[in-house]
Amino acid sequence: MMVAQEVLALSRRWLLVALRERLSLLFSVLQPAVWLVFFAGALGGAVDPRVVGTGDYIAFAVPGVIAFTVVGNGVTAAMPLLFDKETGYLDKLLSMPIRRSSLILSRFLFQTGMNAAQTLVILLVALALGVRPESGPLGVPAILAVTALLTLALTSAAMALACAVPSHGTFFAITGFVSLPLLFMSNAFVPLSAMPAWMEAVARVNPLTYAIEAIRLLVLRGWSGDVPLSLAALVVACVLLLAVGAWQFARQTSERIA
Amino acid sequence: MRSIIETEGLCRAFGDHHAVDGLSLAVAPGEIFGLLGPNGAGKTTTIRMLSTLLPPSAGAALVCGFDVVTEAEAVRRRIGYVMQQVSPMGHYLLTGREKTEIEASLYHVPRRQVKARAREVLELVGLSDSADRLVAGYSGGMQKRLDLACGLLHRPDLLILDEPTLGLDVQSRHHMWEHIRSLCDEGMSVLLATNYMDEADRLCDRLAIIDRGRQVAGGTPAELKAAIGAPSLDEVFLRHTGHALREEVA
Ligand SMILES: Nc1ncnc2c1ncn2[C@@H]1O[C@H](COP(=O)(O)OP(=O)(O)OP(=O)(O)O)[C@@H](O)[C@H]1O
Ligand SMILES: [Mg+2]
Repeated sequence: MMVAQEVLALSRRWLLVALRERLSLLFSVLQPAVWLVFFAGALGGAVDPRVVGTGDYIAFAVPGVIAFTVVGNGVTAAMPLLFDKETGYLDKLLSMPIRRSSLILSRFLFQTGMNAAQTLVILLVALALGVRPESGPLGVPAILAVTALLTLALTSAAMALACAVPSHGTFFAITGFVSLPLLFMSNAFVPLSAMPAWMEAVARVNPLTYAIEAIRLLVLRGWSGDVPLSLAALVVACVLLLAVGAWQFARQTSERIA
Repeated sequence: MRSIIETEGLCRAFGDHHAVDGLSLAVAPGEIFGLLGPNGAGKTTTIRMLSTLLPPSAGAALVCGFDVVTEAEAVRRRIGYVMQQVSPMGHYLLTGREKTEIEASLYHVPRRQVKARAREVLELVGLSDSADRLVAGYSGGMQKRLDLACGLLHRPDLLILDEPTLGLDVQSRHHMWEHIRSLCDEGMSVLLATNYMDEADRLCDRLAIIDRGRQVAGGTPAELKAAIGAPSLDEVFLRHTGHALREEVA
């Protein structure tokens, strides 16, 4: 009960701040649509259907755009923690009788909701562009579930980084450096089979690849038997990153009393 | 409970720098207890240990009868901590009322009472009329008062104030003193760190002067002045801590 009250109160803080930043909210909803229409639309003409395995490059790119959005939001997800740490407000929060995990949990919940909303927008735009997921209407909650798992993994990683860095300058330097390679070293826009061997090896340890693979199967092939395989890999990545996040968060607060 | 705060040989080192070095304090319930000392003396570090934010490197502290390390949760439920620096970031886009209600929930004020409690503390610090404005538009003094209000939400037994009137104008300081006094009259105990001698003189029942992490003098303001025949607390302070500026780098 108390945990619910804490998580709700913190989520209310995240939500109010997000709603007041209307322009930022608008852009973050519009951006993936722009990616889908312009990027995928333009690339589609240059891509060999035999390489990507479908004549519909937009459908192929939908999972990539979803992953791109989740990566971008992962960075935003850790920002309150980063700034609370720097301004000292984290101290005030930790002097309250709340569970440490509520701080993290509320952020996961909020971010999962945001990402689900954006994924729905992407799917709607894709629908308007003629993409019909093979998995049918029930594929939508399945895609949202995959997105939620990826959100958990990336939010953990971003939170861990926010705890580890000395200041937000380092945080943004690292996330800025890592975000794009993370995307392009995955199957977001190019299938693994079309990559040089070394890049394929990198892509295979990139959790994005498995989230994208699962969503891509749901969009292009329907309820394929390979979906659970990708999901299993994604769950492993989630557990690992969550452990790193929890460890870093504990370290951050170890100067303090648990 | 004999004391609301009781520390025994409390120490905190950062590397080989001893920020707090064997502090033994006893604060009686209902008292306003002042913690004075030059910059870097260890006031904030002491307060952070008493607020369960920093584990002591040696010694022990009981707050409201509970150990700050092994019974941190019980301590947190009973203290209100008002930090030295105001932290408007992250609340820029919240109104004073929203921030207050959110913190009330974090202090586990029963859901039905959250709104009323927020209204009550905002009224107490004179922010009722500005409660629905964004914190971003508050002056420094209003933000300080908002922080004080947020420290009162769960009706703590002990209020820990780290330089509550830093940067406030004369009117706001007098108001703040009145608030603190009236809280004390209602039975709350107060630990107050300050660099203002007039504030300590006017407000504190007893005080401790600390320097380089150690207590160098203690007693009621009158006792401290009488002991060395000084007219003001400023004199007392300088007599005990010297005139040299403190090197912040240890
Ligand atoms: N996290 C930390 N890491 C290293 N040194 C620290 C840390 N926190 C405080 N110190 C050092 O401990 C000493 C005491 O600092 P503290 O903030 O407790 O002083 P203070 O009495 O509150 O001073 P002020 O009046 O300036 O607020 C200082 O020398 C400070 O540099
Ligand atoms: Mg201080």
